[in-house]
Amino acid sequence: MNNLFNLVKKELRELMTLESLISIAVVMILFVGLGYMISDQTEQAMEPVRMGVINYDDQGSSTYYDTVNSALDGMYDPATRDQYLIKLYPSSILTDEETISLMQEKGLSNLLVVSPDFSDNIDNGTQGKIKAYYISANTGAFGGIDSDSVQVFVTVVNGAVSTELMNNELSVTPEEAAFLKSPVSFSMPDNYTYINGKLYSDITPSAISGAMMTQTLMVPIIIMIVIMVVGSIVISSMGTEKENKTLETLLTLPVKRTTVVSGKILASGIMGLVYGAAYMVGMYAYMSAMTASAGAVNLADYGLVLEPVDWVITMLMMFVSILCALGLCMILGAFVKNYKSAQTMTLPISVVAMIPMFVFMFVGWNSLPAAMQAVMFAIPFSHPMMVMQNLMFGDYVLVFAGLIYCVAFAAVTVLITVRLYNSDILLVGFGQTRLGRILAKYKKAD
Amino acid sequence: MDALRVENVHKIYGNIEAVKGINFSVKEGEIFGLIGPNGAGKTTALRMISTLITITSGKITVCGYDVAAQGDDVRKSISYLPEDAGAYKDLTGRTYLRFIAGFFTDGEETEKMTQRGMDIANLGDRIDSKVNTYSKGMMRRLLIARAIMTSPRFAIMDEVTSGLDVMNAHDIRELIREIAGSGVTVLLSSHNMYEVESLCDRVAMINKGEIIMQGTPAELKAKYDAKNLEEVFIKGVKSVEQSV
Repeated sequence: MNNLFNLVKKELRELMTLESLISIAVVMILFVGLGYMISDQTEQAMEPVRMGVINYDDQGSSTYYDTVNSALDGMYDPATRDQYLIKLYPSSILTDEETISLMQEKGLSNLLVVSPDFSDNIDNGTQGKIKAYYISANTGAFGGIDSDSVQVFVTVVNGAVSTELMNNELSVTPEEAAFLKSPVSFSMPDNYTYINGKLYSDITPSAISGAMMTQTLMVPIIIMIVIMVVGSIVISSMGTEKENKTLETLLTLPVKRTTVVSGKILASGIMGLVYGAAYMVGMYAYMSAMTASAGAVNLADYGLVLEPVDWVITMLMMFVSILCALGLCMILGAFVKNYKSAQTMTLPISVVAMIPMFVFMFVGWNSLPAAMQAVMFAIPFSHPMMVMQNLMFGDYVLVFAGLIYCVAFAAVTVLITVRLYNSDILLVGFGQTRLGRILAKYKKAD
Repeated sequence: MDALRVENVHKIYGNIEAVKGINFSVKEGEIFGLIGPNGAGKTTALRMISTLITITSGKITVCGYDVAAQGDDVRKSISYLPEDAGAYKDLTGRTYLRFIAGFFTDGEETEKMTQRGMDIANLGDRIDSKVNTYSKGMMRRLLIARAIMTSPRFAIMDEVTSGLDVMNAHDIRELIREIAGSGVTVLLSSHNMYEVESLCDRVAMINKGEIIMQGTPAELKAKYDAKNLEEVFIKGVKSVEQSV
């Protein structure tokens, strides 16, 4: 135990340098910043849309001019309406280019144009025309908001004109028109969703999964980054030990090879956990910023929240999966010749970590076909990527099965590593073994 | 009593036999030199003795412990200083010595052993500098201190003065004489025949994986009618080449 402590202390002293601590802090700050940036974007998206309108239907006798105007006015709070609904009155009908110039002049990114023959067409039994102009600037995740808002505006105008039309043509009152247009009642509170043993009446599964995807989107990325970082740490450490010839000294000290291997894995695992915890803190701030945004579904309202014990399980899962990665890296590290060759050895681990990352960024465990579930379960890095969602939904069987699997996986990799440490490969290299020489001969013959 | 017994030891890498049935022994308190040209099998032999690599066949006993079966006990008795060995560059000399001492003792004894290492290294204030700032000579002093401070029964040193200037090499040879004087058995490998001749009680020469001669420097010089060990070395290697 004393030897293990001595080794872990030495490894940590080498790993926890000022440079590594600064890099952890920078990543944490980046996550927090990212959260606030997205929160800011979300809040901006939740603000009333600034909409420009040119109604060419203003012919004095037009039937639906007032209807369209009232419908648009009704979309805004009267107190702030003039700020957001920008009505424009050009002296003549503008060309497309002139319309865009006017939008640029007024600082508008979207504009509705009601055609001059709007009312006449409707009066004659044909559809009235509305056109929309956009100046595309935001190409990010919220780039679709302008066009979505215009669609809502057109729907509202359509409804108002339809009601007016029914009143004019069929003498139907607005109330009757509303009924005729929507005889079936179905609104958000009419959705009943059973979550973790409780029935909620104002949420749909797609809203839940959408919110969950948004909030846990970064988890697989973080896990992958941590695995790549700690993998690189341990393989590089092996490369450095060989390059500096400290490995030979270490292996002739009165300490069991199991202790040497455990010391390296444990110290790198602790380092990985520090990285993971720092990223988690950053991610927590990121998630908080996201959920604090107006209109976002707050998963905690539906019991989908991680309790302190769940966070402990999450961290434990992360730690154990890091140990799996480290075990694999130690096996690969046994074959590295020096620090330089160690750098390329992390590639296989990174690729294996990327597979579940891409899968769980877009698909949940239950949506996967059985064969894919088996593959994902077999990759130890999948488990920390899906643990938060599984804990929120109370799927403890999958969580603990994954935990046990990861512990067993890590133990097997440690045993293989110890075996390698007891063999000649570590010092003389794979090329000096019988298999290595056969392969080299085969390659030469090629 | 023999501190080391090497009996008919072979080492095969794939289809190459690096060591071909060597036999030699080292008595307690003796300084024994293992010499030979590059690639002769010296380092392979030292690595087998220090439990770093496995023995293909044969038997090695260090301080009464079988290297193959009692590796942990062997490691408690030996101290191995590989050729071009380094130390952990982010540690200071003091923390490196303390780290090594931690494997041999506990508590206050660790500090005593560290202090002993610091006295042997004799690096002054630089003991608290990071190892990556040390010159080659300082690094070698630190590593020898590391190897000796644990009071091993058997010290194995591979090319201990290689690359050092005259003064540093001289100091280190004096250090080896001192530890041998205190009862530590030393097995050293070197290309420096002056060093071997001046330090070693007995010498074995290995070439192409085989021991081709062994004895005291005086015996070998007499046998080959040579003025010094370097001449013995050259004649020994040539005689093997002629016999092939």
